Amino acid sequence: MTSQTTRTNLFGITFPKGRVRRLLPALLTLVALVLILLICGTLQPRIWSQIGFTLIFSPIVALAIASMAQMVMMSIGDIDLGVGFFVGMVTTIAATLLRDTPVFGALALIGSVLAYAALGAIVQLRGVPSLIATLGASFIWLGIGMVILPVPGGTAPGWLSAYVFWTPPFGIPVPLVTMAVATAITWWMMQRSGLGVRFRTLGSNPAALARAGGSLVVTRMLAYGVVGCLGVAAGLALTGEIGGGDVNAVPGYTLTTVAAVILGGGMFTGGRAVAWGTLAGAVTLGLLTVLLTLLNLSSNLQPAVQGGIVIAVLAGRLLVERVAR
Amino acid sequence: MQTDLTHGAPVASARNVSKRYGATQALAAVSLDVFPGEVLGIVGHNGAGKSTLMRVLSGMERIDDGTLSICGRSDPDRHGYPGVRMSFQEGSLAAELCVFENVFLSSRQDIDAKRWRTMASRMVETRLTEIFPDHGIDPSDYVDDLTLSERQMVEIARASLSEDLALLILDEPTESLGGKDVETFYDYVRALCRSGKAIILVSHRLTEVLAVSDRIGVMKEGRIVSMHKARNESETSLLRAMGGEVLQETKRAGNAAATKEMRPIVLEVPMQTVEGAPTRITARKGEIVGLAGIAGQGQEQVLDRLWRRNRDVRIEGGLAYVPGDRQKSGILPIWSVARNLSISAMAGLSRFGVRQMAAETALVTDWVARLSVRGGAEAPITSLSGGNQQKVIVARAFCSDAETILLDDPFRGVDIHTKAELYQMIKAEAEAGRSIIWYSSENAEMQHCDRAYVLRRGLVAGELAGAEISDEHIIGLSFAEARESTT
Repeated sequence: MTSQTTRTNLFGITFPKGRVRRLLPALLTLVALVLILLICGTLQPRIWSQIGFTLIFSPIVALAIASMAQMVMMSIGDIDLGVGFFVGMVTTIAATLLRDTPVFGALALIGSVLAYAALGAIVQLRGVPSLIATLGASFIWLGIGMVILPVPGGTAPGWLSAYVFWTPPFGIPVPLVTMAVATAITWWMMQRSGLGVRFRTLGSNPAALARAGGSLVVTRMLAYGVVGCLGVAAGLALTGEIGGGDVNAVPGYTLTTVAAVILGGGMFTGGRAVAWGTLAGAVTLGLLTVLLTLLNLSSNLQPAVQGGIVIAVLAGRLLVERVAR
Repeated sequence: MQTDLTHGAPVASARNVSKRYGATQALAAVSLDVFPGEVLGIVGHNGAGKSTLMRVLSGMERIDDGTLSICGRSDPDRHGYPGVRMSFQEGSLAAELCVFENVFLSSRQDIDAKRWRTMASRMVETRLTEIFPDHGIDPSDYVDDLTLSERQMVEIARASLSEDLALLILDEPTESLGGKDVETFYDYVRALCRSGKAIILVSHRLTEVLAVSDRIGVMKEGRIVSMHKARNESETSLLRAMGGEVLQETKRAGNAAATKEMRPIVLEVPMQTVEGAPTRITARKGEIVGLAGIAGQGQEQVLDRLWRRNRDVRIEGGLAYVPGDRQKSGILPIWSVARNLSISAMAGLSRFGVRQMAAETALVTDWVARLSVRGGAEAPITSLSGGNQQKVIVARAFCSDAETILLDDPFRGVDIHTKAELYQMIKAEAEAGRSIIWYSSENAEMQHCDRAYVLRRGLVAGELAGAEISDEHIIGLSFAEARESTT
């Protein structure tokens, strides 16, 4: 009797209804992704090659990893308004300190992760909304980045460039490898590790976490620390991609990453972690830029088009969810 | 008898334990022993200190004064006391997570980190089947897909899953459960007790407490005022021990129902009977109509159809809804009592879209006084006890100018005194011409209705009117269809 209300049948296999509801948005986004890719391929058939794929996906890698960071943040019910400048700041550290004095560079990056964890403690202990805390922090990231590199410059560390220009065997484009690995690690952490269960519980129902003996402060600090780590990874990927450092490289990431998580099936209310969906969302948004370029549309139009698509997808998703319920 | 075997070292003992929250003395010098192999019932109205005492015994709350010795320890660690587990009435599951993930969360110590998914699934599946043979819950179901009673089952199963369990605290475990699940649940409690575990049962359902417990502690104003042997007590004697000032309900006048027959029908919901014949749920102006039966048999769906004004229902006039799941859909937690009360009346009182503060204040003052909400109009709603919060939510619906009020089992876990006040209020409002559609999982409440429909699997199993509405009749109808389908 109850099994009929909580489970649904798809292609002869029964799933918990909740899982279908959680996966559908990502599947819809995936369909959009494939469509956009096919249109791009029709307009410019040369993308169907290792080099072509590398070219169109390279600029998306950092966005995809930064979206993972935002996804972890949103899974605990918070939103990071500083991820754009944080990634920018990491590029300035990577293109200067990390290349010249790797030890200090590494320490600086570890320090920035710890700073994120401290931010988490402030949010939990002082009850500061995450929006405010991360927005405030974004100005700190910007300031530090400005001090390190007042104008864009520096050079990516050699090993980073070497990785970016690496040609994997079997014609696999390197950006896809990076994105898949980053997503797989994030997915495993969120869905398969005890840490992920605690993160999602914190987002879904903090009282449940407290009653189960978990510490809200420690959990939130760990989550922010993970966000910091992913932000550092995104910054390193971006440094490799642009070949230098620029704190103002990607301020737009802050909101694009939120859009990617939402496209992937995430929720503002927390508790839901959708790593693969977020990857699909980030790639879709990234490919949109490629498509608009191929269509010779002004890049000034791109944010508007992206916004339109996000709204359309969300509206469609609400419709589908109502049917799925 | 069980009672006589309960001696030896207590699992938990409290001596002169006190706890204050601001101005409220939640516990005042409580002393208590819980022995292995006994079920200790705890009764008392809301605000008597039951929840605080349970939180203290489970190690979630530090005490101000007194001494504790629980499973040989006097201080809890971050996970509480080892061997003590508590099943909460509501709000301790993460709705976005699967059942097995919720189990893993609370039983991390007992689960192998490498295979936690399969282990947690298997553990909860086994335990659920042991306690509730017909549960129908899959460990991979997400909690937000489960009904209130299924969530309660998961919560109970989860709390009992501890390898070193010595004391299990059950807080209102059966409030959301239906008939058969209650029985199998208490069978399990008795089995646990026979295996030497200590169990504390906190419940408002006196018959259940009387049937299951060995000893019953009565709490009042932060103290345990008396301790009884369950077999020597009855419901009335317990009520008397709890304060005995239960308001006498005025008996329904027989001719009142007759005059209501003449009034116009204001609401109609097309339904099917258990035999498959079409029928309707109707309500006349000023009538109190009950939706009874086992919990989760479609009563909430009827309210939902009305509230959403589905195309197939007919309703005249405005609607107001009193939710049962007060933590989730009832209160506006950051607002005061006054604002929580006036929100539904605001639009009706406003002039040209501008709030009329004087009128709102008058309305709020009137209701706060009528309901004697402790703390007054300006108190933050979250500072009130559960029962008082519920009063505010019910009053909010009556504050509006709605002609029909939908009650979605709103008195779960509310103390007897508050309930009596609320019943009076409902009757008064019905006298004044409002129609009430009232779903309740407690059969005794249905006796306040003019008519009641008993639902079974979303179908109407029968309609009772006036004096016919009784526990026996409701139960008879609730199971009628089940008996047919097995033969």
